[in-house]
Amino acid sequence: MRVWHGRFVTAAIVSALIVSAGPRAFAAPDTSRTVTDEVGRKVTVPAEVKRIVTLAPNLTETIYALGLGDRLVGDTNFCDTPEAAKSKPHVGNPQNPNLEAIVALHPDLVLATTSINTLETADALKRLGIAVYTSDPQTVRGMLDSTSHVAEVIGAAQQGTELVGRMQQRLDALHARLSERPMVHVLFVVWLEPLQTIGQNTFIADALRWAGTESVLVSKQNWPHLSLEEVVRLQPDYIVFTEDHGGGVSTELADLRARPVWRDLDAVERGHVVNVSEEVVRPSPGLVDVIEQLARDVHPEAFAADEGRRSRGGTLYAQHEIDSVGAGLKPAPTCPAKELATCAR
Amino acid sequence: MRPLTPRRVAWICAALGVVLFVATVISLRMGAYPISITDIVKTLFSGAIGRWNDIPGEYRSIVFTIRLPRILLGILVGASLSTAGSGFQALLRNPLADPYVLGVSSGAALGAIISLIVAPHTPGAIQLAAFAGAAATTAAVYFLGRRGGQLDSGTLLLAGIVAASFLSAIIMFLMTTLSGRDLRGMAFWLMGDLGSTLPSNPLPWFEGLFLVFVLAAGAIYATSSDLNLILTGEQEARHLGVNVHRVKLVVYIAASVLTGLAVSVSGTIGYVGLLVPHLMRMMFGTDYRLLIPTSAIGGAILVVLADTLARTIVSPTELPVGAMTALAGAPVFIYLMRRRVR
Amino acid sequence: MNTVAGRGAASASPAIMAPGTSGVRLKVEQASYAYAATDRSAPKFTLGPTSFEAQQREIVAILGPNASGKSTLLTLLAGMARPLSGRIEVDGVEVSMLDTRTRAQRIALVQQESELLFPLRVWEYVLQGRYPYGKRLRFESEEDCLLAGNALAQVGADALRDRWMDQLSGGEKQRVILARALAQQPSLLLLDEPTQHLDIGGKVELLRRLRRLADESRYTVLVVTHELNLAAEFCDRIVLLHKGKCLRVGTPAEVYDRALLEEVFEAPLEVEMRANGRPRVILGGNH
Repeated sequence: MRVWHGRFVTAAIVSALIVSAGPRAFAAPDTSRTVTDEVGRKVTVPAEVKRIVTLAPNLTETIYALGLGDRLVGDTNFCDTPEAAKSKPHVGNPQNPNLEAIVALHPDLVLATTSINTLETADALKRLGIAVYTSDPQTVRGMLDSTSHVAEVIGAAQQGTELVGRMQQRLDALHARLSERPMVHVLFVVWLEPLQTIGQNTFIADALRWAGTESVLVSKQNWPHLSLEEVVRLQPDYIVFTEDHGGGVSTELADLRARPVWRDLDAVERGHVVNVSEEVVRPSPGLVDVIEQLARDVHPEAFAADEGRRSRGGTLYAQHEIDSVGAGLKPAPTCPAKELATCAR
Repeated sequence: MRPLTPRRVAWICAALGVVLFVATVISLRMGAYPISITDIVKTLFSGAIGRWNDIPGEYRSIVFTIRLPRILLGILVGASLSTAGSGFQALLRNPLADPYVLGVSSGAALGAIISLIVAPHTPGAIQLAAFAGAAATTAAVYFLGRRGGQLDSGTLLLAGIVAASFLSAIIMFLMTTLSGRDLRGMAFWLMGDLGSTLPSNPLPWFEGLFLVFVLAAGAIYATSSDLNLILTGEQEARHLGVNVHRVKLVVYIAASVLTGLAVSVSGTIGYVGLLVPHLMRMMFGTDYRLLIPTSAIGGAILVVLADTLARTIVSPTELPVGAMTALAGAPVFIYLMRRRVR
Repeated sequence: MNTVAGRGAASASPAIMAPGTSGVRLKVEQASYAYAATDRSAPKFTLGPTSFEAQQREIVAILGPNASGKSTLLTLLAGMARPLSGRIEVDGVEVSMLDTRTRAQRIALVQQESELLFPLRVWEYVLQGRYPYGKRLRFESEEDCLLAGNALAQVGADALRDRWMDQLSGGEKQRVILARALAQQPSLLLLDEPTQHLDIGGKVELLRRLRRLADESRYTVLVVTHELNLAAEFCDRIVLLHKGKCLRVGTPAEVYDRALLEEVFEAPLEVEMRANGRPRVILGGNH
């Protein structure tokens, strides 16, 4: 009985020591503050946010874009940009992260976003006593605002202002360049079979608009399916794929030229098939690059004067393959469908 | 001649109970966050006697907020599905019957998806709606499955299959018209997941669920002698004095309640309701007075182990429990089938 | 040994029995039945007023061609339906008034076995016959096991005790089903066409066993059959049914009238009287 009692006391003392030496996440320092995140939840953030866990790729990119990559202690399996993010400890995938892994990293703050994370995750983390800040970027401008909010919350307000300022500048410049141009109608392909595209209220639609393009289908559903007949009727000027379809644009174009009905579309006949980085779906700083690149691809005339001066601004980035109608003044060579294999592009 | 005695039932259940306990301890031990068994025992003990402050904060979170509720839920769901499965196999006179064959899970899924459309972030809405869907489907299939005022196995099976396909079609329709965000919630239903449905104060909720389980499983157990007779022939059972009509109704309702319960909290976890009764039959015989309790405990063991694997095998990614039970279940099922066709 | 001579006068009207020392076990008085059939597959069927009695140690055959009302009568005797008119009494109590458990303790029915879904041992199967004697959720007692063992012995199936039901031959299965019925310790044993799937050896063996059971263990046995000669050889009384009507009740000798049988079975028949006083039926002249 005494031995047992003694062991228990030891355990209590040891536990007390662990607690006192232990994770900051459970101590509430006097210098913490309460902020409201973008979905209206109150978050208690410590004054110094040194250990951050991100639950979405766009948030990871944001942290790196702010120059705070060394504060990132954990991210998801999907966080692949920049390269350094891949070697951070992973906590699972964004939809269903491993709670224990998050706890094990002792984060000061966890960043989540409505575009890919779930409410259940945020609730669960809250129950565990971990601070979660959720951003909710619905548009490109929203993304800029989010970025500055996040920067502020993690105590990097100055870097935030700079980053957002740069991005805003580029977007404004782009907007000015394209202001006289008519909108180009594109079919943004989310999935080829069954054919699925984007609705007008999606983030992607907003990004497209900044690039001077508009989805050829107007729909209130976010991910509407449409039939090939509709596409023929709508005759988009350009067809846009995201890069993770693999193979690059030349493959895409050849593929489409081999398909019946697709090969007779104006866009395919003229070779107006474009790839964009999969970043287009991410509300992250890299998006600005994507928007610029897309604008160049579909509004070559607006950039004719800059030919040869391809600047890649921003801090992050992927190479884009471009297959567009030449950067400028040469007329587009047409390629009869029958000679697709030999026709040079 | 060695008839079944209450003592034998108790011994076998105790042995299985020990296995369940071991499985629980293993499950408590495994996870991304390393805690030794000693620490787990200390944490549990301190929690049990109310000395919460003695437990390091993280241990408390990990053990009491993440792992233990999940295990308890797994036990509940596994026991419910297996008991329901054994009941349905008797009711439908079909060894291939599982708890979902009568459309209860599709009804629950439809309830869930409707609640996702209508009230996406109300806590507890999904579970309630799912249970309501399950209940409605149970009632509908009951009325469709009658013949001459009584539940007829063949008609019931047909009615259930029709209901399941019809409801699945509606679900497909709704899923293609929902926005992308809500679809993520639905994937959970189709795959089974023990991770996410707990309210902030889970204890009364668990107590309520266990109470429902005990009542429904108890109702089925009370008919186990009757079921033994019914399985040798309904007419014969009637002549021996079994109230076949009443027994079928009780089993139908109780097994549907158990299925609805399991599906509302964890989506559709497959194979448990089908396999565990067969495994228990192979090990302990077909007497329902033993089969029902052993199926319940066996189901709990299976789900706890499957869930432990699911959340640790490709850590930090978590697989859905339903995927684990299917991966393990399918080969076992094929093996069983081949044994029968001798 | 009961002999034909000891029975009452043959007539077309119900035989009136002087109460013997054994006592009347089964009394059927003007029982009739009609299906209020909405089921299109079954013919709208009736059983006209039927009366007969059976004592302990008697074997009664309910005889008739297909669709003569035999099954209906059996259903009434088993207490599964209420007669439209008249009464059926077992040990002085009206059958349809009994609650199911008591009824199962008095009356046992032997039918062709339905297909078993899961493997079952013979002794488990026979032990199920003890169901009417306990609570609903019950575990069998020592006494139950003893009685089940006795039942198996009574049908000579002791050696089959540990075998699996689905591995038995037709005759063996028949015996086991009978054993389960006997485990119910009934007063009245009903058998529905028990000789259907048996060869001639099996048929004789079964009837002999029933005879022995009736004599030694004082059961009252009722067999529904269309086997003319077996009925004549082994039964004490015949109830002859034709198209729902009870045509005659009496000893085999009394009932087996050539003209009557030819009318009922619609075949040319001849009836011979054998030395032991029981008739034998053979196919008649021109076919």
